[in-house]
Amino acid sequence: MSALLRVEKLEVVYGRAITAIQGITLEARKGEIVAVLGTNGAGKSTTLRAISGFLGLDDARVTEGAIHFKGKNLSNRPPYLITKLGIVLVPERDKVFPSLSVVENLSASVSGTGADRKRLEEMAFNFFPKLAELRGRTAGLLSGGERQMLALASAIVCGPELLLVDELSLGLAPVVVDDLAQRLVEIRNTLGITILLVEQNAAVALSIADRGYVLENGRVVLDGDAARLRNHPDIQEFYLGGAGERRSYRDVKQYRRSRRWYG
Amino acid sequence: MQLAINIAVLAAIYALIACGYVLIYRVSRVLNLAHGELMMLSAYLLLTTASLFSKNPLIAIAAAIFLSLCVGVLVYLFLMRRMTGEMVLAAVLTTVALGVLLRGLVVLVWSAQQQNPAQALGWVNYSIPVFGGRISAAGAALIITTALVYAGLFLFLRFSRYGIRMRAAGQNPLLAAQRGISLHAIYALAWGLSTLTGALAGILISLDSGLDSTMVLIGLKAFPAALVGGLDSLVGALIGSLIIAAAEVLMIYYVDALLSDVVPFLVLILMLVVRPWGLFGTREELDRV
Repeated sequence: MSALLRVEKLEVVYGRAITAIQGITLEARKGEIVAVLGTNGAGKSTTLRAISGFLGLDDARVTEGAIHFKGKNLSNRPPYLITKLGIVLVPERDKVFPSLSVVENLSASVSGTGADRKRLEEMAFNFFPKLAELRGRTAGLLSGGERQMLALASAIVCGPELLLVDELSLGLAPVVVDDLAQRLVEIRNTLGITILLVEQNAAVALSIADRGYVLENGRVVLDGDAARLRNHPDIQEFYLGGAGERRSYRDVKQYRRSRRWYG
Repeated sequence: MQLAINIAVLAAIYALIACGYVLIYRVSRVLNLAHGELMMLSAYLLLTTASLFSKNPLIAIAAAIFLSLCVGVLVYLFLMRRMTGEMVLAAVLTTVALGVLLRGLVVLVWSAQQQNPAQALGWVNYSIPVFGGRISAAGAALIITTALVYAGLFLFLRFSRYGIRMRAAGQNPLLAAQRGISLHAIYALAWGLSTLTGALAGILISLDSGLDSTMVLIGLKAFPAALVGGLDSLVGALIGSLIIAAAEVLMIYYVDALLSDVVPFLVLILMLVVRPWGLFGTREELDRV
């Protein structure tokens, strides 16, 4: 099966000096949930920003490689047109319009060409029945979990073929995160869309993903089926915090990192 | 009673102009300091269309409004669009330059003489008796127009999808783009609406009291009205206009007519000292300027 999204040897440089991404290649096929793992600064968010067309805002640009979506090269397309093509990003923070009500947040979304907007709005409420109860509530007054629901719902109204989710779990209670993760699976199963999930929480991401990539220092260091990644000793040790047999840390940096992570 | 009527008319004038400032500021954080000039341009355009369609005053007015709308959208497309992503200050300075340019252009094309579009249309500005006072026909039209414009804007921003998108884009342009909203389209819409309301104000004022290049000053006096209310709030603009108009009319009546051009700015300074973000504005909104 051909890839819906194909990122090829992507290299991104910030402000002419700092290379944030050094030749990342990854792909996502139709109907897949793909996890992108890595610690802070590994290049996960930069990859998402490159795909959704927001690099220019940070004085960053693609210096090598290309991003193809459904065979089309995405370079030099403004963000709103990328959304209309069917790639919708749920950002890490500032993901709802706080002064708008829940319904207004959904109204603000522009549905892609040929999408049945009414059906999409119904779907959004079906996935998140809680939002239907909170229709008139100002988004700024929602809890973190409700905001994440609203952000996902607003993205669904855009009619995505590829949903980019930046840090689903950030700042949310584990129970809420598990629930949201299950909704993502449900959304994928019902709409048949592809989801690219960028996460620090590897346990959650790998529990719902079909495949995954692990980024470190702007490179893909590991990739494969989610099951394989779950059982990989490095992932066990550094991302899942499991007490695997391998106890020797490969280098001080990673040792410190995992200490910081789980300490 | 006459005092109350005068206040109402002046407040309507300021409110109609002030909503133009608010619309553009709210979506793009840019203060359009050429708003007064654009408003004046509309009145002069009416002068021209009035001579073209001298038999049909309403067509002349509609044509002038349409032309003004085109000017607004063109200003956005050829000037302000290039400012997107630049510093807000650069955009504001551009509007200042545009204002100076328009002022010069108007004198070049239509001369600096006092003009009277009402006469050109063959209209007489009747004085109508109401509640023991008198109001000019154009003054009454101003009050009605302002009420309709505010009601329309309120409904548009509250219930229409594009209105909601305008509010969304004003709040978080980045997220708006992520949701597929074309910021350029929204900004162009804001400029169009802003010049449209400005045109209505300019045309009605010129029908009420004639037209020369001092009309710019009225546009400038409406700016304190917008600021006193809080630059990002339409309700604020309405109430700010009422405050400024009341202060101005009362000062003229009880103290000295010469004060009329000073009072709005006195109120503005007072407001800036006490509550810089305005009566209804959001505090952090103003911090970003």
